[in-house]
This record gives sequence, structure tokens and C-alpha cells, in this order.
Amino acid sequence: MRPGTRWQHRTAVRALAVTAAAGLALSACSGGSSTATGDATGGATDGASDATFIFAGSADPITLDGAYVSDGESLRAIQQIFEGLVTSKPGTTDVIPNLAESWTTSPDGKTWTFKLKSGVTFTDGTAFDAAAVCTNFDRWYNFKGIQQSASIAYYWTTVFGGFAKNEDDSLPPSLYSKCEATDATTATITLTKASSTFLSALSLPSFFIASPKALTEFKADEVSGTADAPVFSGTFGSEHPIGTGPFKLAKWEKGNQLILERNDTYWGAKAKIKTLVLKPIADGPARRQALEAGDIDGYDLVDPSDVQALKDGGYEILNRPAFNVAYVGFNQAIKPLDNPKVREAVAYALNRENVIKTNYPEGAQVATQFMPPEVFGYAKDVPTYAYDPAKAKALLAEAGVPNPTVEFWYPTDVSRPYMPNPEANYQLFKKDLEAVGFKVTTKSAPWNPDYLNQVDAGKAAIYLLGWTGDFGDPDNFIGTFFQSTQLQWGYKNKDLQSLLDKAEAETDLAKRTADYEQASKVIMTDLPGVPYAHTQPSLAFKAGVTGFVPSPTSSELFTDVTVPAK
Amino acid sequence: MTAPHELGAAADPRTAMVLAGAEEGGSLGRDAWRRLRRDPAAVVGFVLVVLFVAVAVLAPWLAPYGPTDTPGQGTVTPTNIPGPSAEHWMGLDNLGRDELSRVLYGARQSLIIGVVSLLLGATVGILLGLLAGAFGGWVDNIVMRVVDMMLAVPQLLFAIAVAAMLGQSLTSVMIAIGVTNVPVFARILRGSMLAQRGSDYALAATSLGVRRRFVVLRHVLPNSLSPVIVQGTLALATAIIDAAGLSFLGLSGSDPGVPEWGRMLSETQRFLASAFHLAVFPGLAIVFAALGFTLLGESLREALDPKYRR
Repeated sequence: MRPGTRWQHRTAVRALAVTAAAGLALSACSGGSSTATGDATGGATDGASDATFIFAGSADPITLDGAYVSDGESLRAIQQIFEGLVTSKPGTTDVIPNLAESWTTSPDGKTWTFKLKSGVTFTDGTAFDAAAVCTNFDRWYNFKGIQQSASIAYYWTTVFGGFAKNEDDSLPPSLYSKCEATDATTATITLTKASSTFLSALSLPSFFIASPKALTEFKADEVSGTADAPVFSGTFGSEHPIGTGPFKLAKWEKGNQLILERNDTYWGAKAKIKTLVLKPIADGPARRQALEAGDIDGYDLVDPSDVQALKDGGYEILNRPAFNVAYVGFNQAIKPLDNPKVREAVAYALNRENVIKTNYPEGAQVATQFMPPEVFGYAKDVPTYAYDPAKAKALLAEAGVPNPTVEFWYPTDVSRPYMPNPEANYQLFKKDLEAVGFKVTTKSAPWNPDYLNQVDAGKAAIYLLGWTGDFGDPDNFIGTFFQSTQLQWGYKNKDLQSLLDKAEAETDLAKRTADYEQASKVIMTDLPGVPYAHTQPSLAFKAGVTGFVPSPTSSELFTDVTVPAK
Repeated sequence: MTAPHELGAAADPRTAMVLAGAEEGGSLGRDAWRRLRRDPAAVVGFVLVVLFVAVAVLAPWLAPYGPTDTPGQGTVTPTNIPGPSAEHWMGLDNLGRDELSRVLYGARQSLIIGVVSLLLGATVGILLGLLAGAFGGWVDNIVMRVVDMMLAVPQLLFAIAVAAMLGQSLTSVMIAIGVTNVPVFARILRGSMLAQRGSDYALAATSLGVRRRFVVLRHVLPNSLSPVIVQGTLALATAIIDAAGLSFLGLSGSDPGVPEWGRMLSETQRFLASAFHLAVFPGLAIVFAALGFTLLGESLREALDPKYRR
């Protein structure tokens, strides 16, 4: 449950390691083998071609076993190979059926019955059925040893809490109880309590269904090493990731490229490209140069300062809907931030409009609360703190500390979708604080692991951080931050915590929405931090590429992507 | 007591002879000064150094804005960072700050880092050199082996190690650069003193019964200092470049708002494509400051060395 989820940290970690290799191998794979359009199995094949599409991210996947990862680069690849019971409608966070055709919930909200698609097979030829679904859920539930650590089973621990046998006392009892295959196409999942986030969470690639045969055969459960540096000894996640998705793994040259091939036995609309190559290019300028040199067809995480130049150069820029929040966090355990007047003074002192205008690309907007407007439960009438340095000074005077000394932290060597240039944000904010009388001590540390560890451990008084949503639910934003007491915030409001608990269990959407709106108002009154930006991260493509639909959660499929002939 | 006291005296065993031949220009120092004035490289170097020091000292009066003022607030966006104009001679930076003002203020950081690290390196180096040069024998041996060990590590690498050990701050950059200067000064002074100790005037003083301490401190040391002074000037140039290099690598860790040329360069890398001027001006500042000290140092070396006398 840490802000700046692993979506985000992991990308930075491996970044350096792959930089050198990334630039080298370029063309490599373009020739298609002979299976161009040989499918008589039905399904839409129009537009299918031999084309190769090369896309650059910022890092290599860690493993292709969704159960073990939470970083965006791994999830991007897993998304193409595996599928879940549900998925999100392209370009939105709305949950729609996928491997499950429909589902029903028992009145107490604990029993979920999924009606599965029939006739679906994994790419190893085995059938997808209810037993396969239950095997996957039971596998996650029965994780042992370091498989249980939050850094490996991040999403399981976030959504389901604990395991069959918790090996760490800090793990809560599991939300998951059991899964029964009533018949081949009916899977019944029982929870220990009602949860309104369960269904949305199933759209996460970490809960996608893998071939039970492949899981066993290629020893997916063999994990050694430590929680921070796990070693996956089986070959499931590196050589044999077997799912039902539109692509299958052809070859993974680690640090260089991941080559995926169209799954010609796919049950749905087949991919329009024959080959999808995912390349890790850690350096932002290098990604841009690779696109301009024609080595790649598109890339993720476009630097805001490159957007205009790329547009002028005839490249296509697509923006993801704003689904994140950047904030200035306070640790109330550190004086003088325990004083609400001081926190308010900070809020009034920060010129958030200026930071957005100066450091963010077009499409970024000033945040008023800890979740983006796209999420239900977004409150229109939260207390706001428009830039007003005079008021900030007055508040400090009222608080009796006209010149408080504060340590202000920012991360180095990192660029996040919600914070393209942390140091630039920091400098403007620091100036704002000094202008109203704060004495600011600069503190900085490399993003991962130093900075995140310091913030998590409650060492940072004022700090820059943010969050990108994983799925379309307010619980994924304010629930993550404030439902339990965290050292990062030093913020205890029992009423708020029980309100968030209640909202999470509530199954009536209207009531839930009202609860979260109420919670946002409470939060923005208590002011545990100052949210300041929602951004629209950009992707760049060469002219003529079609079919890519940016997703708020970065969970894009390449199925419909077409690329003009070279 | 006929030994020459001028700081500019040559570090050469032939000093006595040279002095004897310096009949037309009086002292060697004056002689050196005359030669310096005629050397165009020296004049250029001197002008650049004076300019650099003046800018560093007078930055608050010269700079049109404060180093963290943002006159471009509201104009600057990630895709619009205005270049040089009549209003802002060096353009604006990515936060809307006046680049000229930041380059001017940046001279202060470079001067402070240069001078402090030089003083540190020179002081310790001179003490070590003095120890080795004055006592000779096993003291000399030990000191020189330590110095050899320090010299064996590449300078920048050593500086990075120090900065890594002491944490990222301007102080550790100064210490790092200072420490790498220690062996250089120690060796130069020691070599120069060894030469002087064997000279006739030193032998004469010793044979007249003057105490060793007096001979070393009053006669040998002053006459051994000229190569140290030359080295000092050159070391300032390398200190400025090293400081920029270390800051560029992110080791200075100072408050990011404080203008430091190396840091300004590294911060603006990401804007190279859209705001070229942000790399040009701090880069030129580093080049000219370092060039000034190098030209002056080299000319000084030539002027002070009798071998170069024309």
C-alpha cells in the first residue's frame, strides 16, 4: 500500500542497467514466419498482417508472471499474454466482462459466481475452465515464504490482505476464502467479507489467469533469494508464460527486447500486427531519438519538453486521461506540522498554478483533492486553498511561529507521470514557502530505495510524492492513503478511517459515492498534504500508427494497433 | 645573510648564478613581472581572472535579478523557454529565472569552491612537503610514500569517493578537490626544497652556524615557493572544472536553487532540444574561468623560470 506504487518505482530501478544495451539492437526481427493468415477458426481476421510494431518503455519486465509483479513495464507485457475474468473498457476504468461472460453476487456481497466463456484455450492447448480459475486463485492464496512479502505479492496483499497461512503477524486475515468449480464454466469465489473493490481489482494483470499445466510444468512457484531481490528459478515467467491473450511470447532477450507473436488461436478479435516488440530504453532523450531515427514505432513516458517538438516533427502524441495525483505530503508527527494552522499556511503559500504552468505539459490540471476527477466519489465542494501568501503569513503569525524551520524532501534521478521533474517542482515550492517566512532545509535522496524508504519510515517532514491509480475506484486513492494510520502521514483520524472502511464494504454505488465525497471533504479540512496536480502522461507514435487507445491505468492492449508499411 | 627573500626567486640549483646575472633588472621578481606584462597570453589570462573575481564579488550589484527570482513566471512552460533577448541577455531558464543573473551568481560558487579547496590542498600539501623537504631521511620516505599512494588514484575518481563518503554537499566537493590537490603541492614543494637545500647559500648559512630551523624557514622555504605559486594558479583552474564536473554528476547535492555552473549544465540536459542557450552560457562561463587561470598559471611559470628567459 505504498504511494508511488511499484508501478512506478520499479521502472526506475532497472533503468540504468538496460540503458547501454537498449541502444544497440535495433531491427532484429521483422520477417514473419509462414503463418500469416492461416486461421480457419473464425473470428475477425480482417486487417491482420505480417507487420511488426516496436514499442519502447523505460525498463525491461521483471518477470512475466503477473502474480509477482506490480511495475508498469512488467504489467504491460503480461497484459498482452494473459487475460483476466474482467477487464477495463479501453480508454476507461469501467469494468467489462472478459474471460467471465457475466457474474452475480450474493445478497451479503461475499459470494461471487462467474459464468465463464467456453471454448477458450491457453496457448499450450489446454482448456480454460472453472478449474483453471480456481487453481490460479488457490495458488496465490497458498503463497509461502517470501512469496508472501509485500514486494513480491504486492497486489494480492493490497487487495486480499493475507494468505492461507500468514507467515508474518502484520498480515491481516485474507479477504479470499475459497473458489469452487461448480461446472466447467461456473466458478464461485467466496470472500470472508463484502468488498466493493474486489471486482475492479480483478482487472489488474496480477490476477490474470495462467495455464495450470504450465504453472506446474515450468515451476512458477519456485522463488528463492530475498524479498527485495527475488530469484525466480522456474522458467514460467521468463520462457513459458502461457495465457489466453492475443499475443504469446516468442523470445525474450533480457535487457534488449521482448518479442511477442500474435496468438493465432485467440478466441476474440485477433491482433492486427504479427509481431510486437517491447524494448527497454531507460533514457527519455534516447527514446525520443530512437523514434526519430525510425528504430521504434512508438514510446511511453514522453518528456513534457519534447511534446511540442515531436508534434512539429509530424509525430502523433496521445495523452492518457489524468488518473494520478501529485501532492506535497506532511508528516504530522514532526513539529510544527502537527499544527493545522501551519499546514494551512503551507497550502496557501504554494503557487500550484505556477508549478503546473511552468513544469507540466498541456492537459495537466491543478488538484483540489487526493483523487482525480475521473473517479467516482470526487467531491466538487472540498475546502480549497487558493494561492494567497498574505493569508499564509497571517496563519503563521496566528500559530505563533512566524518563521518555522522545516525539512523539505524531494527525490532525485526520477521522472514520474505525475511529477516529470521533481527538482523543478521543489525549487518553485521552496521559493513559495520562503516567501511567507518558512526556513526551508533541503533534503534529497535517490528515488528508490532511499527516498521512498525515508518517506515510508516517517523521516520526511514535508515531501513531494504522488500516486497513479491501478483501477477505477476511490479506494485505490484515498483508501490507500488514509484508511490505515501510516508513518508517512502521521495522521490519525479514527472517524475518517471508519468512514473509509464503511465505504469500502458498501455495495450501493450511490451510498459509496456519497461516503467518498464526504471523506474527501474531511481530508481536505484536516489537510494531511496538499494535492497539486493531475497530469495526462503522453505517448508518442510515428505518423500513421492507429488503434492504440491510451488507458488511464496504462493498461493498453496492442491488439488493434496497425502500423504503416515501411 | 645574503640570501634572496623575494618570493619570485627561481626553484633552480643555479639560483645563485642566475641572481648574479640579474644585473640589469634588479630583483628576479621584478624581472618576472616585466616579462609577464609583455606576454599577451598572460594579459588575457589576467584580465579573465580579474573579471571572474570581480563578477563573483560584485554579483549582487551586477545581476539584474536575484538568483532565484522568477521574472519569467507565467511565460515559461516546458515547451517555451525563451532564449536571449534585449530584456534577458542570456534568456530564461526552465523555471523562468534570468539566466544571466544565475551565471553571474554562479561565479561566486566557483570562486568559493576553487579558493577553499585550493587553500585546503595547498595548506596540507605545503605542510607535508615542508616536513619531507626539511627533515629528509625516513620522514621524507614516509611522507612521500603516502603522497605516492594518493597520487596513484585518478583525481576525479578520488573526488567521487570522498564525496560519496562524506555525503553530497558543497563542503564535501571542496574537501574532495582539496584532498586531491594535497599530493601535488607536497611533491612540488619537497622537490623544490631539496634542490634549494643543496644550494650554496643554504650551505653557506649552515656552515656559518645558523640553526637548521632558521635556514629552512627563512631561506630555503621562501626560495622554494615559486613553483608552488604557479601550481596554485593552475590548481584553481582544475578546481573550477572539477567542481563543475562533480556538481554535474550530482555530487554537490547543494540546494538546487543555488546557481552552480556544473549543476546548471546537468539540470538543463533535458531541455537541450528546446532551449540550447541553457547549456551554452554556463558552459562558456566554465571555459573562460578555467582558461583565465590556466593562461595566467602557464605564463607565470614561464616568467618565473629563468630557463625561459629571452
